[in-house]
Amino acid sequence: MNIRCATPEDLMNMQHCNLLCLPENYQMKYYFYHGLSWPQLSYVAEDEGGKIVGYVLAKMEEDPEDSVPHGHITSLAVKRSHRRLGLAQKLMDQASRAMVECFNAQYVSLHVRKSNRAALHLYTETLKFSISEVEPKYYADGEDAYAMRRDLSEFRDKISSRADCSFSTYGTCLQGQLLCDRALVAGSV
Amino acid sequence: MPTNNPLPPKENALFKRILKCYEQKQYKNGLKFAKQILGNPKFSEHGETLAMKGLTLNCLGRKEEAYDYVRRGLRNDLKSHVCWHVYGLLQRSDRKYDEAIKCYRNALKWDKDNLQILRDLSLLQIQMRDLEGYRDTRYQLLVLRPAQRASWIGYAMAYHLLKDFSMALRILEEFRKTQSQPKPFDYEHSELLLYQNMVMREAGMHVNALQHLQEYEHQIVDRLCVCETKAELLLTLGRREEAAAIYRDLINRNPENKAYYKGYEEADHFWVSENPEDRIGFYKEISELFPRATTPRRLPLTFAIGESFKNLVDTYLRKELRKGVPPLFVVLRPLYSDPEKVKIIEELVTGYEQNLREVGCFDRGKTRQLQRAMEYVDKGLEHTPLLIELYVLKAKIYKHAGDMEEAVRMMDEAQSLDTADRYTNSKCAKYMLRAGLIQEACDMCSKFTREGVSAVESLNEMQCMWFQTECAAAYQRLGKWGEALKKCHEIDRHFTEIIEDQFDFHTYCMRKMTLRAYVSLLRLEDQLRSHHFYFKAARIAIQIYLHLHDHPLADSEQENNMDTENLTPSELKKMKRKQRKAQKKAEVEQQKQRAELERREQGKTKATDGELDGPKEEELIPDKLARTEEPLEQAIKFLRPLQNLLPECVETHTVAYKIYSRKGSKLLLMLQSIKRGIAADPNDPQLHTCLIRFYMHVKGQAELPAPVQTVIEQEMGKIYGSKDPKTLNEEFLSTNSCSLQHLLAGAQMMYLLDKSTQEKAISLATTLSSEIQGISLKTCCHVLESLKSGDFGCCDKTVQEYQMKCHSLFPCAAVFMNPSPKVVGDCAILTNGSVS
Repeated sequence: MNIRCATPEDLMNMQHCNLLCLPENYQMKYYFYHGLSWPQLSYVAEDEGGKIVGYVLAKMEEDPEDSVPHGHITSLAVKRSHRRLGLAQKLMDQASRAMVECFNAQYVSLHVRKSNRAALHLYTETLKFSISEVEPKYYADGEDAYAMRRDLSEFRDKISSRADCSFSTYGTCLQGQLLCDRALVAGSV
Repeated sequence: MPTNNPLPPKENALFKRILKCYEQKQYKNGLKFAKQILGNPKFSEHGETLAMKGLTLNCLGRKEEAYDYVRRGLRNDLKSHVCWHVYGLLQRSDRKYDEAIKCYRNALKWDKDNLQILRDLSLLQIQMRDLEGYRDTRYQLLVLRPAQRASWIGYAMAYHLLKDFSMALRILEEFRKTQSQPKPFDYEHSELLLYQNMVMREAGMHVNALQHLQEYEHQIVDRLCVCETKAELLLTLGRREEAAAIYRDLINRNPENKAYYKGYEEADHFWVSENPEDRIGFYKEISELFPRATTPRRLPLTFAIGESFKNLVDTYLRKELRKGVPPLFVVLRPLYSDPEKVKIIEELVTGYEQNLREVGCFDRGKTRQLQRAMEYVDKGLEHTPLLIELYVLKAKIYKHAGDMEEAVRMMDEAQSLDTADRYTNSKCAKYMLRAGLIQEACDMCSKFTREGVSAVESLNEMQCMWFQTECAAAYQRLGKWGEALKKCHEIDRHFTEIIEDQFDFHTYCMRKMTLRAYVSLLRLEDQLRSHHFYFKAARIAIQIYLHLHDHPLADSEQENNMDTENLTPSELKKMKRKQRKAQKKAEVEQQKQRAELERREQGKTKATDGELDGPKEEELIPDKLARTEEPLEQAIKFLRPLQNLLPECVETHTVAYKIYSRKGSKLLLMLQSIKRGIAADPNDPQLHTCLIRFYMHVKGQAELPAPVQTVIEQEMGKIYGSKDPKTLNEEFLSTNSCSLQHLLAGAQMMYLLDKSTQEKAISLATTLSSEIQGISLKTCCHVLESLKSGDFGCCDKTVQEYQMKCHSLFPCAAVFMNPSPKVVGDCAILTNGSVS
């Protein structure tokens, strides 16, 4: 497995992965919009052959209502064949850290279908998100969404004491957690 | 302004309002004001007003009228920059960029400092990669607006793209100096610095780049990029110790990134020492630090051998198995190319026994012990009957064994166990398409596509290319050429659309300052059709067009001409009735879709208020596509991008040869394909057949024009030496005597060159001896196809014998069943059967 920041060349393969895994799909232009506005924020997981098996497509909220800079997860997917490797969490942590470093993000938000209990479980239990509100009829088919948030101060604290490349948040913030993203991983706009 | 007839103040005010309405998209009002001017007989032929009326009509979708008005306006006022600009905008909206550029240039003749026109021109130039033109336009923009940031950046970018790095850097540095001290989290400034650094590195100025990075790193927010770049630069400059330290930090930051380990190893050189344990020790240390990271545990498995491999893989397996990780063997699969490692893994795994049964079957599935694999899966299913992965696995095993029908059944089972999972749903649809069950596949997909629209349409809208490629291949196997071509063209259009997508980003990225990503985008778009999605679609399209050239559809011919000879009259009647019914159903369906499309079209125009997204594309009608008058020209259209972007792929040139050889008198192009093919892979079996055929073709030519003759002789001397095709073929066969693919090609040529060799040729092609490599289901299918297609003359009995022999080798494979099941000859089911 290999986890790295996404490049424009990855975007088409992310779209492919998205179409295989999730019901919410977007045209290429929307992927370009992400990759060219916030090139640091999206990450991919590749298998041994360089095929994308998971990704997080992320952005900063433009003109946030609360005028607090924060990130937003547009889409997060891991192929079923590659679940339970902790990929979702690793992808999210890398993206979150970049949000803090590059854009001073205070928190990261996302939407999830009310009925998607597996994803909800992943977000609340593993990824430390909590529900901030319900957005009625958020999805095209009329379903409600939970708007969720994760506070990013744990990343900020580490960065404020930054000494070039030599700080590490990875080990500490991952330790002691259960691996429980065995189920469907889905988040989308 | 040098317009021919300026309007008096009142009308001029109206004209200004037309412009304003256009900008604000109030097209109806715009037309009203235009009418007020044009209604006056004195101004009824006023050029600029006519042109603006045309442009406004264009936004309302009235294309033909739009062109009429704009052209009429222009004729009446050839010296108006407005008329030329409007004509340019109109052409641009139809994506006729070359034409639009000419118009803008004419407009600038009459108003050379018009900012809006210069900007529009520069966008078209960069879109069309007219880099010199772009540079000149950006220069003018800089002179006119030196205070604007975008003026500087655009000008520098032009030089960068032209690879005049020093000029680009001079402009960037001049501009940087004008910038005041950046605020914290000044992302745009940070991006500017990193862009500057990128140009330095591309110019090969490693030392300067490193200094630059050190000097400004406090102003750069993208820490990751700083570290990665620094490490790379230090490594290039041979400062390994410093590089290693940074890679070590990067590993701390993201222990799952392989590049960091590679960089660290390169920097530290510790594995060069005799003792590989040092290297293993390093990874051990990292894994202890990051117990949840898999990369440091997985990487050593690739280089460790013998006892230490055994220990490592044992620890690895135990840990993962305890966690219960179904994809464990997806991760280990790449190791299976080493037989020793396979043996070790197998021993360990069999040792674990009990609840680990599924493990064993992965193992065996890959090492092709299908029977045993199946037993293991079944044991696994007894143990946990609802584990989807086991059904998926079973389906995969059946697929590899060549029994698509059973594979589909298993995938469907898997899919039904979790209908909320689109991944399994997609896999199931893919298997269905492999089995030729197109309607079933669409129904399967429709569970996750937008309601109210057919799945096919919705997937096209979402640019779902895997589905469309598989669909095209399925139609091809069924002989539905038109339907297959439609899918190929749809894919081709996605690529056109994605290239079009970059248009908006030319201005956007200058504003956002994401210049590095922007340059990558431009480079990506230049290579876009090298993507395997395009390659696959192009290959299918070319194959079909070649077939249609060789066997054009007769006027009355149904596309999928079924074998009606062996049917009794009543059966025939029944079939025809069925066909009529199906056709009717399809028509109704189509009508519904068309109505839906129209409805949405209308909704769209309303919603965007006339904003036109490029020209309306011609509808793709399968029957029309299959009855094209120029199949070879169509094939060449699909071929071109492959020639430009995938010259290293030998298949590009073998298909090119096949097209040109049918085009008559294209000797030089045939020669070119052969030469390029040799450069790509001189030993490719397909290329070998091209070589032999070309030789025969040249010999068969009567007289050639002298210059052509000279070139051909010269080049052929280089390629063939003094050898005749028979000798060449003998040599090819003897150097490749252990590869079935090569034997098949050589045998085909042997028979082609000398019909009396039939027996020998057939025995070469049909060998299943154990010394031969590449006796796979796929290659055996090719042999069978070749025998059936008459490559070896008439050999019905051999076909039967070969089929039987293959049947005992691949007992589940439908193609070798006798009598063959209904979809005969579709060995291609497996031709792109990658495990995915």
